[in-house]
Amino acid sequence: MIEVRDLQKSYGDLVAVNRVSFSAGAGTVFGLLGPNGAGKSTTISCLSGLLKPTAGTIRVGGFDLTGEAVKAKSSLGIVPQELAIYEDLSARDNLAYWGAAYGLKGDRLKQRVDHVLNRIGLMDRAGDLPKQYSGGMKRRLNFGCGLVHEPAILLLDEPTVGVDPQSRERLFDLVREEKAKGTCVLYTTHYMEEAEKLCDELAIIDHGKIIAGGTLDELRAEFGGNDIIRLTGSFEPSSVEPVIAELNAGILSLTPEVLMITISEGARVLPAVLQAISATGADIRDTRLSEPNLESLFLKLTGKELRA
Amino acid sequence: MRFIFITVVKEMKRRFNDPGGMISAIMIPLAIGFLMASVMGGGGGQPSIRAQLLVTDLDDSFVSQGILSALGQDQIADMIVVEKVDHQAGQRRINDGDGSGHLVIPEGFGKAWLEREDVALQLTVNPSQSISPRLIREMLESLLDLGDYLHKVFGEELKIIANSLDSSELVGISTSVFSSNITDKISGIADLIFPPAITVEDITPQPENVSVSFALLMFPGILVMAAFFAANGQSTNFWTEKEKGTLGRWVASPNAFFSFWLAQWFTAMLLTAVVAVPIMLAGFLYLDISYEKFFTTLGWLALTGPVLFSVLSLIQVLAPSKKAGGMISTLVMFPLLMVGGSFFPTETMPKFIATIAQYTPNGRVIEPMKGYLTGEYGASGMFIHMWGIMVAALVLVLLAGLISTRKALA
Repeated sequence: MIEVRDLQKSYGDLVAVNRVSFSAGAGTVFGLLGPNGAGKSTTISCLSGLLKPTAGTIRVGGFDLTGEAVKAKSSLGIVPQELAIYEDLSARDNLAYWGAAYGLKGDRLKQRVDHVLNRIGLMDRAGDLPKQYSGGMKRRLNFGCGLVHEPAILLLDEPTVGVDPQSRERLFDLVREEKAKGTCVLYTTHYMEEAEKLCDELAIIDHGKIIAGGTLDELRAEFGGNDIIRLTGSFEPSSVEPVIAELNAGILSLTPEVLMITISEGARVLPAVLQAISATGADIRDTRLSEPNLESLFLKLTGKELRA
Repeated sequence: MRFIFITVVKEMKRRFNDPGGMISAIMIPLAIGFLMASVMGGGGGQPSIRAQLLVTDLDDSFVSQGILSALGQDQIADMIVVEKVDHQAGQRRINDGDGSGHLVIPEGFGKAWLEREDVALQLTVNPSQSISPRLIREMLESLLDLGDYLHKVFGEELKIIANSLDSSELVGISTSVFSSNITDKISGIADLIFPPAITVEDITPQPENVSVSFALLMFPGILVMAAFFAANGQSTNFWTEKEKGTLGRWVASPNAFFSFWLAQWFTAMLLTAVVAVPIMLAGFLYLDISYEKFFTTLGWLALTGPVLFSVLSLIQVLAPSKKAGGMISTLVMFPLLMVGGSFFPTETMPKFIATIAQYTPNGRVIEPMKGYLTGEYGASGMFIHMWGIMVAALVLVLLAGLISTRKALA
């Protein structure tokens, strides 16, 4: 449903997206994970026709986005990062307008508007202006405007930014429902837990480049079954480094405040690790043991934390 | 086309759901118009704008003083203000556009008139004014006709009076004989000047009586000011939608981006009409304008008013940001309102500014409408100017569309 090949977007000397390639099929949620400024939104803007790529090809729904723009765009539903709704039009009017933008009319339009209002939980407030809504309600309406014409492909650009937990869960449900219907969903986020919850496949993007890709399990396999130990406190890096090497562990992050290592059978060796580190004079105040996750993977790949 | 229509409906709904902008666009011009008309003393049906006639009397004779005296009579004085000036001052002021006309009564005029010799009054009118000079010219022609009749009937007596004024007494004739002569002549022509009591029913349709008050001259400018304010609000919609992301949704939809601009243009037409209607209702009532002209005037405004939207939209899309666009629009809009004839009618402006006004977009909309409302010409005379304005508006809005597309897809 989505095929991106060697996509590049430059602004003069600045390369915002650098030879990005990926594909996603029907009924899958494909996640683009990366920190702010990594190139996720630029990629999604190119996919939605908002930005003209400098190089590369994009095919959506089987149509080339440049050569067959109208057909390609007809299969897309967009949920931008900003609240792209008319605050001076009721929720019903917003949905009806964006439905009409994709050719819906008459009873079909009305049915779809009612259906989406129910799905996003705004039926009882359908006649109110969004300026009277909470942030979460506006987010849901923003989501609904992208769904109303039943697109085959849904582009979600960080749809949960600034959303309360209740609305966030509701949006997750909507994504899962779309996936179950066979919609191809492209989901960008910098929240690892969202990506882990929702995405079937992932691409990790940083500085405009995809640095890793695959299913969650495939990405975890990058750690070779190792666990992650995260210690916080105060450390002397030059003293700690040789100790870590003796323990056959890998360093993910080492600062005077935080130490993250990957190590086999973490639960079993944890007491030994703590003892060895303490022996260097370190003051350990908190310890966490976990399986590899996207955050640790990102750290391993880039040497920096995703939320930074 | 269907989606353009839907977009126009959507835009109008947005405006009605948040009517602050529309109310401002109606109330501010009304308030300014009311204040200006009050300051200038222009009421609804009162002919309060008066022509200013500068007179240089180089003759200073009984006849020339008679002309000045006639111009100072009550009914004429309501329409024409006479100010005596020397020749140079009169010429300088009329060249500066100060005054409606400059009348020079040449030396020897009175003597020549009494002797029925060829003689001419010199009248220079202010070309930047249309109504006042016409009023002066017609009034002078009427006075000269009256003078001609007087000369035919009382020519000899007028000569005697003129000569006697030179010598301070009636020469060679007694006052009683002089009076008797005049009475005899009036009796002789009494049948002509006091016609029998026959009434004639005039079945000719009476031309519409439009009293040209300052308020009436201001009225088209007030309407265009309202259209300008409405257009200004509408033109910022590009940035509002860009910032909100709804413009992005539009670009991402299968609809051509130009249709966004066409929809905005049609919305500007409707919006102009919506803000104009209440002002027109008030104005037509206050100024006693025939309601037969209501819909043609409204049509003219709705069709030509969007040229203001086009100009402001082009400014907005050329600006680097919404804030800059707003500042530049304001910098352009208020001088245009001043010069183009919204704050002051062109009839009250110096000549060179009145000339500039003709080339401003709002001036292009105001002047034909004023001509129509003051009865200078009919609806066809007004609408003949429409096509040029509409084509210019469409070209400008398409240019704005082209620039904004390039910006959006940069």
